[in-house]
Amino acid sequence: MVYRDLRSFLEKLEEEGQLVRITQQVYPEPDLGSAARAVNNLGDQAPALLFNNIFGYNNGRVALNVHGSWPNHALMMGLPKDTPVKEQFLEFARRWKNYPVPVERVDTAPFHANQVTENINLFDILPLFRLNRDDSGCFIDKACVISRDLDDPDHFGKQNVGIYRLQVKGKDRLGIQPIPTHDIGIHLRIAEERGENLPVAIAIGCDPVITTIAGSPLTYEQSEYEMAGAIQGEPYRIVRAKHSNLDIPWGAEVVLEGEIIAGYRELEGPFGEFTGSYSDARHQPVIQIKAIYYRDNPIFENLYLGMSPTEMDFITSINTCVPLYHQLKEAFPEVEAVNANFTQGLIAIISTKTRFGGFAKAVGMRAMTTPHGLGYCKIVIVVDDFVDPFNLSQVMWALSTRVAPDKDLVVIPNASVLSLDPSSEPPGITHKLIIDATTPKAPESRGEEFAPIVEPPRDTVKWEKILKELINK
Amino acid sequence: MTTCPRCDSNETKVLCESPVKGCWIMYSCPVCTFTWRSTEPEAITNPEMYNPRFKVDPSDMGKYQIHPPIAQKRKS
Repeated sequence: MVYRDLRSFLEKLEEEGQLVRITQQVYPEPDLGSAARAVNNLGDQAPALLFNNIFGYNNGRVALNVHGSWPNHALMMGLPKDTPVKEQFLEFARRWKNYPVPVERVDTAPFHANQVTENINLFDILPLFRLNRDDSGCFIDKACVISRDLDDPDHFGKQNVGIYRLQVKGKDRLGIQPIPTHDIGIHLRIAEERGENLPVAIAIGCDPVITTIAGSPLTYEQSEYEMAGAIQGEPYRIVRAKHSNLDIPWGAEVVLEGEIIAGYRELEGPFGEFTGSYSDARHQPVIQIKAIYYRDNPIFENLYLGMSPTEMDFITSINTCVPLYHQLKEAFPEVEAVNANFTQGLIAIISTKTRFGGFAKAVGMRAMTTPHGLGYCKIVIVVDDFVDPFNLSQVMWALSTRVAPDKDLVVIPNASVLSLDPSSEPPGITHKLIIDATTPKAPESRGEEFAPIVEPPRDTVKWEKILKELINK
Repeated sequence: MTTCPRCDSNETKVLCESPVKGCWIMYSCPVCTFTWRSTEPEAITNPEMYNPRFKVDPSDMGKYQIHPPIAQKRKS
């Protein structure tokens, strides 16, 4: 099942009982942010929300929490909505290996239906709203931002599709936060070294797969579009921008074309971040918008951020686990699964077979030295292969029964972490922790006589099946 | 005249009005880039009730980090 746009995915969600329409009139603030916070509080099976009656708008529509539950994540992948998380992970990891899948190029897209190049006013087209009280304005934080490497403009793989927070500062003016280590940070540095503005296209309200891949830690030369093709199992459809060489997701609801102004910074933020804390105001770059394209009655899709659980726990979940898993596997084929679902992998749980005492600690250290681990993996918990790292009850069992605090904790001092981690001091530097929660093995002295595990009675799997059938009768 | 709730500047301007006329007005502050809507709670719109933790002093803008640093132009 391939979704070419957000609308067809919303139809699927509704068909599966995973979309709630809110038809009563709501205020942009504080209703929309509050509702998005509330739906995240309902648990990991929660629906997406679609609002169509927003005070001050005739036809304004806002979609929230589109990826924000395990059923929605499974449906994004075209899987049954009750697919267990570990199975979603393994299937995503399998498809990831099919990269690259060449794209499908077309000449026109639904968003060409409406075009504005003069007297642009973002507020006329998008029902923009403040997400959290102390945000410095209305933010667009779930849009695909597309840019190219100006030193190598024809390199398709170096074209980047990423999600970056965008503060709406005026009718045709945005602030952007390009982290230097992210691909767009590299593109901006190159543009500024050349003394040129950086052209960008911003696609708002896309199909669910490209939004997932745009939030994935791909390498600099990997194409998000060719990876989206791998994940959806069919070539990804793109259309060339009218005023630049940028390629845009065909199904986008709204597309903004503009450029980041080179050599200029302006106050941006604070903003309630995915860490659940505000990141303070900083002088950051500005985007001047030059054209807007949009479908009839466009849908504004946005993302609520705050303390977990939020939609971030799903949209940067499996897509963060999988590259980490593949990189770990290269060094340690014993690795079974990786759960880096929380706060983009600031904490990671790895399940692995172990060959001998101390093995798990080496796996933990490798996680911290992967490209993603340099900015994340502040705490790595390593569990046995028979522990499902997505089953937190099992993980807590491993922590509580396998860990001897005098033997199983390894602290790496003054390591690197992303500067948004509120506990880092100075921002970007932190001690890191490996917790070895695997069963001790020789030559560790505990390994010789460690208390044997209670194996499940022989027919447990058979009985699971019987009981499920009885329950579903 | 409207005062910026965040930096107390009086240079604020109307950013836009609601597409359905008369529902709300968006304001913006060119000094600190803060924006707010006339219908928001007082903790946002009233300078005296704005969260002191995030007030901005226009005479002390240099204390905020430049992020990312502006790359030096290459020599041609």
